[in-house]
Amino acid sequence: MSSHAKKTAKLSLKRLLLANPWGFIIPVMTGIAATLAGVALLGISGWFISAAGLATALGGALAFNYLTPGAIVRGMAILRTAGRYGEQVTAHNHLLGLLRTLRLWVWDQRVAKDVANLHEQSRGDLLQRLVSDLDQIIRWPLVVFLPWIYALLAYAAVAIFAYFILPSLLWPLSIAALFHVFVVPYVCGHFASHAVHVGQILGVHRRSRFVSLFSALITLTIRGHWGDYAQRLGELDERQRRMEIRIQQAVSLGRLLAYGVTIILLASSFYLLGSFDAETSRWTLLDGVQGTWVVGFVLSLLAVNELVLPLVQSFVAQGQSQVGLRRLNQLHQDAKVQPESKTQAIHRMSFKHWRGFHASSGMGNQAIDFCVQTSESIWLRGASGSGKSTLLASIAGDCLSSGDALINNEKCDLYSNQSYQAQLSYLPQSPYIFQQSIGANLRLGNPESTDDELWSVLEAVALAEWARNLPNGLETLLSSQGRNLSGGQRKRLALARLLLRQSPVLLLDEPFDGLDKATIETICHSLQSDYKPDILILVSHVSSRIGDSSRVIEL
Amino acid sequence: MTREKGAQKTRRTGRIKTPEAVFLGQLANQQSSKYRLAQGFGVLFAVSLVLQAWALANVFSDMALHQSFSISLLVVGLFALLIRALANFGRERICTSASRDIRYGLRGKLVSHLTNLGPARLRIEEDAALSTRVYEQVDALDDFFSRYKPQVFMVTLIPCVILLSVVSISWIAFFVFMMTAPLVIIFMIFVGHKAAQANRRQFNVLAMLSNQFMDLNQGLAELKRLNRTNEARERLSDSANAYQKTTMSVLVLAFLSTATLELFASLSIAMIALYLGLGLLEVLPWQVGSSPVTLTQAMFLLLLAPEFYLPLRQLGNDYHAKQKAEAAATDLLEILNAAVHTAASQEEVSRVAGSNNAATTNQLTSIQFENLSWREDGRYRLAPITATINKGERVWLSGESGVGKSSLLHLLLGFEENYQGMFLVNSQPFGELDLASWRAKLAWLPQTPEWVNGSIRRNLLLGLGSKEGAALPSEDEINAALRESQCDDFIQALPAGLETKLTELGAGLSGGQMQRLSIARALLSKADMWLLDEPCSGLDKETAQTVLETLEKASKGKTLLIVSHDTHPIAWVDKHWALTKGGLHEQSRKENRQAIA
Repeated sequence: MSSHAKKTAKLSLKRLLLANPWGFIIPVMTGIAATLAGVALLGISGWFISAAGLATALGGALAFNYLTPGAIVRGMAILRTAGRYGEQVTAHNHLLGLLRTLRLWVWDQRVAKDVANLHEQSRGDLLQRLVSDLDQIIRWPLVVFLPWIYALLAYAAVAIFAYFILPSLLWPLSIAALFHVFVVPYVCGHFASHAVHVGQILGVHRRSRFVSLFSALITLTIRGHWGDYAQRLGELDERQRRMEIRIQQAVSLGRLLAYGVTIILLASSFYLLGSFDAETSRWTLLDGVQGTWVVGFVLSLLAVNELVLPLVQSFVAQGQSQVGLRRLNQLHQDAKVQPESKTQAIHRMSFKHWRGFHASSGMGNQAIDFCVQTSESIWLRGASGSGKSTLLASIAGDCLSSGDALINNEKCDLYSNQSYQAQLSYLPQSPYIFQQSIGANLRLGNPESTDDELWSVLEAVALAEWARNLPNGLETLLSSQGRNLSGGQRKRLALARLLLRQSPVLLLDEPFDGLDKATIETICHSLQSDYKPDILILVSHVSSRIGDSSRVIEL
Repeated sequence: MTREKGAQKTRRTGRIKTPEAVFLGQLANQQSSKYRLAQGFGVLFAVSLVLQAWALANVFSDMALHQSFSISLLVVGLFALLIRALANFGRERICTSASRDIRYGLRGKLVSHLTNLGPARLRIEEDAALSTRVYEQVDALDDFFSRYKPQVFMVTLIPCVILLSVVSISWIAFFVFMMTAPLVIIFMIFVGHKAAQANRRQFNVLAMLSNQFMDLNQGLAELKRLNRTNEARERLSDSANAYQKTTMSVLVLAFLSTATLELFASLSIAMIALYLGLGLLEVLPWQVGSSPVTLTQAMFLLLLAPEFYLPLRQLGNDYHAKQKAEAAATDLLEILNAAVHTAASQEEVSRVAGSNNAATTNQLTSIQFENLSWREDGRYRLAPITATINKGERVWLSGESGVGKSSLLHLLLGFEENYQGMFLVNSQPFGELDLASWRAKLAWLPQTPEWVNGSIRRNLLLGLGSKEGAALPSEDEINAALRESQCDDFIQALPAGLETKLTELGAGLSGGQMQRLSIARALLSKADMWLLDEPCSGLDKETAQTVLETLEKASKGKTLLIVSHDTHPIAWVDKHWALTKGGLHEQSRKENRQAIA
């Protein structure tokens, strides 16, 4: 139960961060090492050169230990590179792991969604969420979290250095850090967040309007109204453009502000470090402050400046990740509680005032009463639109229903009831064939089937001959939605898959549509011999041997 | 046309340029004045960079040697930093605005091109995928135009400026820069090449992953019924794992090249720092006892060293932007290169046809094809046919798929004008007709009815109530049309009636009901000529039969051309045309009836 609850919990940035903490710690540590090495590289070089210059000027050059700082400088250079490399590799590895987790999360949500509303989500929308929203979210640690940590730590390192030069330097330093790391990014993020949000919504809106209008392109064109509609599409684009301008303004201004903070920080540091000497009209450093150290300090501040610049953008990215997360969470489904009771092998089904209907339109069949038990078969007939298919779907538990169903004389809720559905096989009007091999498609019915069993079930639906003539036999890959199959073949392949399940109840919706007499005969023969179900309910407008031997219910 | 121009350009410059690169170059040229201004800001940036380094170097050396420095130099240094920030700000604003202008202009062009392509657009991709190209793929060009393109200029500018200012100070530093820069560039090309491969492979695999997900998602109901959702989850997980492994093995290599690049930059900075330090200590092996540079000069060099490599490293980071843009350009060019055969602009046609307007505003009397054919790429899309449809005749057009049934309909809709032979309407050549008033006579009923998101009412009245003041159909007319198309029963059964929302998926209406609604729409449009493209192909036999019966009653008195497979024979038509690769064979009503019987 706990694993199930975890599967369907809502997403949050924190959860993403903690999804794989050990995988994330390595990129963080290597990144920190690289960042600090980068700042130290500039700071130590500055100190080294100025100290060397000073030593020469004072005549003590020969006593100056130049080997250690030299080695440190080279060491920092190598550490920075290696750290950056390690960070990129491990961070991307972590990112890809996150991608996997999120995709599976989306899948779990889809599975938890109830069958009748499964198609509420249009394909385009789901694809958008799956691709661009996931993209916005997984880059969050890399674009937002890590740069932020680096900037904070670089500031901390410089602060330690500053403390040894002059403790009062900590004041401007901490104020600047506050501005650089929190205030400026927050303000910019705030300024842009509305635009980010609206932009994201407009993007979805614009796409659905595009698809909607283009799907009616010819009608609109021949009525001479395309221009008006296209203009409305253009207006949406124009609004999107204004949002984009706003976001870019926020980012550019934020960078300018960050530069400004750095300049003020430099100026105030110099102000604290010295005093004006009116005699020489020069700024003289306070006693006890080493000029060579100050050089190193200023250079490391310039290095920190380069680190804080990307932060401005990162807060816009933060907004985008949050919008992405919110949109993804819209897919969220609460885990459904399955009824505890297990349905045993079905031997009797009876229905009272039973009516199946579609959730969206409320259309379905007239309420009926009927009963069926083992070794019986029923042929449901009725005019087009009388709701035969809906009735069958509701019996299969795929569609909403009203009235009572008694399964094995016990009252049972059929809709989305997995243990009940495990006892039956339902062939809908347009069954789905997956982009897998013929064998893999069939084995969805029963993973343990041997090749011989697959061939014999293909024989039973009169597809064996066709499959034998394929160059790759059972390994033949079927194209998207089984487009390289005819409608009749698709249906028979799906029927074969169901027959492998050997379930006691078989519900067939128009299995014979588009088939010739001989094929219908073969299928009827199989359904009455080797693959005979205990209970068969058939919807068909084509008469067949199996229909003739069934009880007929007219709708 | 763009392609030809591009090809000429390629020959002139003598360099091999892919069509994508040419396309991106042309787009960038649209905004050349903005890019020039950005270059101006770039120059300002480079100059203030050197100025800042010079001022701070003086401040630093004074500070180290004398513990004091001149305030004016510090002010100059900080001021230069400010100028640098402002120049960067200006450059960024201009480049993003150039990128916006390019992208939004291009998007408008794509949408109107797709409009002109009409039904032919579906030969490129389905609408949902086209929307991805028009929106996401165009936005994928952003990084290229706003960052990569201007950065290319900075990559040449900044190192040149730094080299110029360094050459008079230290030959050794100059040579270190000169020697390492080409190495960095060579590595970058290498990196770029690797990254491009990695990127492309990753793109393909990612598309495959999405495809797998969508396939399983489409069949989710089936998986649930079969109780195999966990197996599907495992499949998704396995392929995501495999993707992670292969991508990482590529990335490890790609990043290794980037790291080498970084190492070069870091080591050169360290080398220069070490050289300067040792030089200042006067312990350089070849120069013991004298210093090649003063402390100020050394500081100046040290400050400039990281800046020398920075633009190159940024370009390395932005290199993927170029890859992304070129991949997107491939998809966009596919749309733009799809030839449009309609009249370039409809106004032009109506001017030419001004005198003939009388003929087309009149009632439709006849449509004649004389040796009409349509060749494309040396292959017949439609073999030459000769036939006539008179007013009020209902014609069934059948034939194998691919013989040009739909192509003929597209000709009639006026989306293809690249035909050979004669195509006459009311004895006027089709090309001289006023396209708008000809199209106003048509009703279009395709295989999947054309619906926009909105209520049933909105869809029934889609495009009706014209600008010329023609009133919308009254409620009575709507009800009559619904009755005639036998929609009234099921619409009354809907809880929201006519206000029920139709979505992409039809809101629970069956295929037959959707086709009936489009018959109602055709009735409401009062069109003379109905064009139907396989209206029954998605329906089962029984439903198809009832829809055809409704159609027979509803279309009495209309001129009608219906494309339908032999599997859905139509008995009530006046003529049956059997189209083959060899041409058209006409059967009269009687022969048709006998054939069906």
